[in-house]
Amino acid sequence: MVVLVAWFVANVGNAIQDRDIPHGFSFLDREYQTPIGQHFLPYESSDTFLYAFIVGATNTLIVSVVGVVLATALGTFIGISRLSTNWLASKAALVYIEFFRNVPLLIQLFFWFYIVLALPPVRDGYVVADRLYLNNAGLSIPWPSVRSADAALAWIGLATVAVVAGIAVHRWLVRREARTGSSPDPLLIGVMTTFFIGAVGWLVVGAASGGAPFTTSLPAPQGAFDRISGGFTMSGGLMALMAGLVMYTASFIAEIVRAGIQSVSRGQTEAARALGLSSTHTLRQVTFPQAMRLIVPPLISQYLNLTKNSSLAGAIGYSDLTNVAKTMTQTAPAISIFLMIMLAYLALSLTYSLIGNLYNRHISFGRR
Amino acid sequence: MIAGAEPINNSALRPPHSERGFVGWVRANLFGTWYNSLLTVASVIVIGAILLFGIRWVISDADWTVIATLGGQMIIGQYNTELACPSQNCFWRPQASLLLVTILLGMAWGVAGGGLTKRIAIGISVALAAFALLPYSFERMGMDVRLLLAANIPAVGLGWAIARYTPLGTGRGIALSAIAVFLVTLILVHGVPNVPGLEPVPVRHWGGLMLNLLLAVAGIVISLPVGIVLAMGRRSRLPVVKLLCVVFIEVFRGVPLITLLFMSQVLVPLAFPENFPQNSLFRAGVVITLFSAAYMAENVRGGLQALHPGQAEAARALGLPGWQTMLFISLPQAIRNVIPAIVGQFISLFKDTTLVYVIGMLEVVAISRAYIQGNTEYLASAKELFLFLGLVFWVFTYGMSFVSRRVEKHLGIGVR
Repeated sequence: MVVLVAWFVANVGNAIQDRDIPHGFSFLDREYQTPIGQHFLPYESSDTFLYAFIVGATNTLIVSVVGVVLATALGTFIGISRLSTNWLASKAALVYIEFFRNVPLLIQLFFWFYIVLALPPVRDGYVVADRLYLNNAGLSIPWPSVRSADAALAWIGLATVAVVAGIAVHRWLVRREARTGSSPDPLLIGVMTTFFIGAVGWLVVGAASGGAPFTTSLPAPQGAFDRISGGFTMSGGLMALMAGLVMYTASFIAEIVRAGIQSVSRGQTEAARALGLSSTHTLRQVTFPQAMRLIVPPLISQYLNLTKNSSLAGAIGYSDLTNVAKTMTQTAPAISIFLMIMLAYLALSLTYSLIGNLYNRHISFGRR
Repeated sequence: MIAGAEPINNSALRPPHSERGFVGWVRANLFGTWYNSLLTVASVIVIGAILLFGIRWVISDADWTVIATLGGQMIIGQYNTELACPSQNCFWRPQASLLLVTILLGMAWGVAGGGLTKRIAIGISVALAAFALLPYSFERMGMDVRLLLAANIPAVGLGWAIARYTPLGTGRGIALSAIAVFLVTLILVHGVPNVPGLEPVPVRHWGGLMLNLLLAVAGIVISLPVGIVLAMGRRSRLPVVKLLCVVFIEVFRGVPLITLLFMSQVLVPLAFPENFPQNSLFRAGVVITLFSAAYMAENVRGGLQALHPGQAEAARALGLPGWQTMLFISLPQAIRNVIPAIVGQFISLFKDTTLVYVIGMLEVVAISRAYIQGNTEYLASAKELFLFLGLVFWVFTYGMSFVSRRVEKHLGIGVR
């Protein structure tokens, strides 16, 4: 095998020299000169290859993070439904899992994509309360817009302080509850602390800079063609991609959650109930913490799968990292771009693994 | 006996009417507690709405003609067109391969001697034969095509007879026959130069579900042994071998398959000498197989790690050399314990065969998409088409996981 690998590497080396295959990274400073569909970072065709690559990577990153959050929520819900004593809920969850898990993601993406394409044109689109616009150009929703960058940054700083303070208060109250037994609701008080500091900060920053730090930008039809401007518009491709990715990954997450909860021995639940814990408390304080130890590792690998699967976006017209890079190979050396893609996905995977492993260490037993 | 004591009626009273039968089941499973009742009502509303909307759409609004129009293209793609197969009928070649597979199924039935295998073999052959009755005109679906489809029923019987009355009727016989059938299928589909009736069909014209199945079968057969070798390499004590295996596995697992496939068109040709015979299908097959092998390696490694070290130690103590310990003691137990994960990987490999669209191969999803884009009058019924394709894939993948569950049960995995 070592010989085989060496042979391949030698062949590639020879090919690059003999056949004049372009290589190197000097193209990164050239202008990319190709439009990118939906993008979250500002982008012009005159930007460089390197920047365009970063724009593509950001597109993938955003799909990945939002997808992970939504898929975890949906998957947990379905996984718990699967274990419900309610026959109907359990069987409905089973049907969901067996169907979405067993159908190739590409087919699901095309299905959603053609449903989105079949939406009415902008003028006849659906409008909800003059706030939401749904049509074949995508879904437009209200979105915060920054009035002055300083005020916005100041408030974001204060909001971070508020979250940290909320968590600190919560932990302090939990510890006090464990020590003294008196129990004000730590969660409620923690959240209230956060909201209080955040609201006061909002007012203070607003008074100091003469207006709220963020305003809401509402989508509204404009111009001769009634195009929607303002707010945030999710393109049809992105909508289909999110729907497909989230529903597909949720079916795997549901199975992981189900297996994790089922692995907690019945004795644990029974003991908790015998001690007089309510069923919500049993789930939250006894079952879930133990199940999490089994759920987290495969969950991380599902997050990675979701990120990698988002590379199918190209098929339905969303410019993710792979799609942008693929277009780049028409004007830049493919070998260099392949290396860059590998590094980018590797960086994403390592970040997820790192976060996951830190969390996993936080929740797992001490070594026995 | 004490006088006056009444004979005790031993038969216990039946539970009250509200606790047994249908009413009891409903009370226990749907309306046990107040929140359970609430959940039931909510589920009924949601499921009812989906069913009502769905059934109305399926019956009245949906337009399924696109599936009938595409017909055979979904199964073999452009294989039988004038371009791929000039002035002859090539449809019989995939069909003959199908008959060989049915014969194999019949042999499996003959060896297993009834039960589930029998039902699967007969069920599949009858379902295939039923396609002969499709209400197409005879111009679109000739008598020869229909007869070859109907021949699946005698074929399954033939396979059963072969297994019963010839020496091929053993597990080993079936395994050898399966390899032979796969090779013959490849030869049939690919064609042989200068043989009349078997003109070669360029691989770029292969397509449809046939392509998915060929890639999946080749991938499944090759990726398992490659994965096992990689797993053993990763546990090897030789640092170079270990490093190579780790790098290979992590690179293939870290990058999306679609990127690998697309790069295979650029990089794999460079890795071979300039005049090495190859084509895009070969490259796609290699990449899909290696990708799957990397995941397979991790599954097998999991199985090897979970094995008690005492097993290998005992084997060594009995004097077995290292490779025999691995081959006859560790591997069989490790693989047996990770069958569910391996079958899961097979299923994902089959689903991943749809991704060869990136390199322009017209597998079943790609050809359907191309058809929709080429015939815009069907644009509105694209949903119906992809829903149908979803169901087709579901039948295959669910079938695989069903058989795997039966095998696990048969082997008693997870039961001590």
